[in-house]
Amino acid sequence: MPSIPLYLPNLPASEIDRSGITLNPLPRLLQTPGGRAILEIQGTIHAPALANSPEAPESTETPIGNLVFPLYSEGMREDDTQWMKRVYLYIGKHQRLTGEVKKLAKPLGVLGRRIRDNMEDMEGVEGPGGVENEPVERKDGDELEILEVVRYKIIFSTRPEPVGGEVLVS
Amino acid sequence: MAAQDEGAIPFSIAHDQQQFRLLELPPALLDLIASPDPPVLSIKSQAAPIPAGTPSSKPAYAVLCTSNKTFQLRQVQTSNSVFVTQPVYKAQDDDIALPGLAAIATCTATLELHPVVGSAIPYLKSVLPVYDISEDITNAVGNSQSKSRLFLDIPLSDDECEAGWQELVAFELDSSSFRPSAKTLLQIWQSINAAALAEGISLGSQFLTENLHKAIEDEGYPPSLLNSLLGGLVAEDESFISAWTCLDAKKCVRWVGKIVLEVKGGNSGLLTADFLDAWKDCLPEAWREEAELEAIHGSYVLPTSTTIASKGDLENNEKEPSESSAKTASSRKWHEKFARARRR
Repeated sequence: MPSIPLYLPNLPASEIDRSGITLNPLPRLLQTPGGRAILEIQGTIHAPALANSPEAPESTETPIGNLVFPLYSEGMREDDTQWMKRVYLYIGKHQRLTGEVKKLAKPLGVLGRRIRDNMEDMEGVEGPGGVENEPVERKDGDELEILEVVRYKIIFSTRPEPVGGEVLVS
Repeated sequence: MAAQDEGAIPFSIAHDQQQFRLLELPPALLDLIASPDPPVLSIKSQAAPIPAGTPSSKPAYAVLCTSNKTFQLRQVQTSNSVFVTQPVYKAQDDDIALPGLAAIATCTATLELHPVVGSAIPYLKSVLPVYDISEDITNAVGNSQSKSRLFLDIPLSDDECEAGWQELVAFELDSSSFRPSAKTLLQIWQSINAAALAEGISLGSQFLTENLHKAIEDEGYPPSLLNSLLGGLVAEDESFISAWTCLDAKKCVRWVGKIVLEVKGGNSGLLTADFLDAWKDCLPEAWREEAELEAIHGSYVLPTSTTIASKGDLENNEKEPSESSAKTASSRKWHEKFARARRR
């Protein structure tokens, strides 16, 4: 295909949908209209190969650990950026990565295949809307779309430090 | 140490990983995204073989085009794990849903955008058949490709393609596209000039486009070619292909000068004085005085003090892009440089 259309997000970047705020656990600065954020680790996470743990066979994700913004609190002034200097990522129970929130020199677009169907219909497949749309469901064309514009990333560039696991257990 | 539980966001990796690429957004693109009605961009790659003169037959690269700008896409690998995350809601201990964060995609490479300024002329020259009229015989084999179809295969923005198209006076005829030879262009211009004189049309002021078409109807030039030619010569503030046309004296003088030089100036030197005479003879009386070498500055060379030659824009245009691509290729392939050094 010599020419592929690339669609831009139709939400202006400044017009973040504030209704979703309570649902997004990240600090407000890191929130994007579609909720996508970028987290970078210098290294690799070796997650258990086992897809479904026996106690939760229907789980759709492998738990890794916890993300903590120790200096952040909800009621902070917008121009207070001190909290960005420190982020912890606990891996399992015994390792901790220290990182920070960085403003990207050039914002990154999250580029994906454009799904021509209505996104709303895709979400609630079990509803009547899903059935109605079945014939054309997920018609992924050779079209691309910038789904999100991300201006900040969380980056962990240090070696993991050992931490005591007892705190978590208690 | 108790901090971990307080305000902790459970982080997980989704089993169903999605395919995303991260694309660096230069300010020009951000402006487009922020605009109220964002345009649809296009990612193009070159399908046709690279025009002769480009050194290695490297696989075609991809470019991202806005309506008037072109960016080369370069994939930059990273050894870091870059996750795209999204909030998830996971029931914990059968009671409250705790918002967490799940990595839904891993991106091993970032796409960088580098602005490129290119000329579509070498690409167009390689795909457009020449349309030549000599001694009333038309020599042209169609390529059965429309203009818009051709533009899809040129890794440049539509505006840049259009600029090249206009410069070559390319035109569409019978669902093919062509570029006229310099000789044919000169012939048509002379017809226009003669007809204008005969019919009393002043090319430099407003005239009925239809009248000019009628005046040279007998010559049998394709009307689309005529329109393309006139389109490149109309005064700036005109919106072309209206009923009325007004040609820009400066543009005409310069264009005619270049064409005359291209046609007359072969390999052997053309006497500068002869060239100036031929040039003036091709222009309406009122414009004769403007035929000075200054008007075609940059398009000619003077091999000796008395002769003149065309700067061979064919050569120029094909050299430039290949040189620049060779440069970028060599500077980025440091491992190849090392390999070469080791072999010695």
